Amino acid sequence: MARKMIRVLLVEDEEINRVVARAALKAAGGGDVVDEAENGEVAVQRVRDAAAPYDLVLMDKQMPVMDGHEATRRIRGMGVTTPIVAVSSDGLPADVDAFITAGADDFTSKPLSKEKLGVILAKFRLA
Amino acid sequence: MAAAALRDQLTALLSSMFSQGLVDEQFQQLQMLQDEGGTPGFVSEVVTLFWEQPVVNFDKVDAYVHQLKGSSASVGAQKVKFTCMQFRQFCQDKSRDGCLMALAVVRNDFYDLRNKFQTMLQLEQQIQAYDPKQQ
Repeated sequence: MARKMIRVLLVEDEEINRVVARAALKAAGGGDVVDEAENGEVAVQRVRDAAAPYDLVLMDKQMPVMDGHEATRRIRGMGVTTPIVAVSSDGLPADVDAFITAGADDFTSKPLSKEKLGVILAKFRLA
Repeated sequence: MAAAALRDQLTALLSSMFSQGLVDEQFQQLQMLQDEGGTPGFVSEVVTLFWEQPVVNFDKVDAYVHQLKGSSASVGAQKVKFTCMQFRQFCQDKSRDGCLMALAVVRNDFYDLRNKFQTMLQLEQQIQAYDPKQQ
């Protein structure tokens, strides 16, 4: 049986982090289609306008215009059930709780790696 | 210089960067992604993005240091990342002296690593010139 094509929305304001995340996603087997958003507001638009639902959203916390918490809340407010995984270098319990409260399904720390993304893809049955 | 000697020089440079704590396992992750992904210019692209960041405007100190910490983590720049963590603590403690000290350290660490990354890429280019199939 052919493997399902995985569509990922990568929300991250820093280009260097997007470049690394894209490569790590590809290596982990989950980067068939990777759309990008440089802030939370663009992410909300991408989710709203997507022709087909994303399979996974990787959401940074601190971004200009709209942060990851607010973007997560708005995406959930639209009734979207796509797994949202928060990605941040601030991994204190309070940071994780804030993201989960906003509607994220999981949290992983920066920097992203093939191994971390492999675990995430497996958890959400995307690998 | 022969390719083998350049490779030895590159290996020694990378080894010293790890042993001095300038880079950590995330940098190995980048090398692995380059090798496994068959994308020869990947490490070059990432480290170039790293050193081309604006490093002079420290007005919005806390937000900027957060940004630098994140990109340092992505490239495996361990020393810069740790200094940024200390820097942010000084910002949050509103310690002017601490911020000035951390600024001096982070600039030094950043430029030191940038120079080593540049040397690393030059060596790789010279080695590549000997054998274009090698990467």
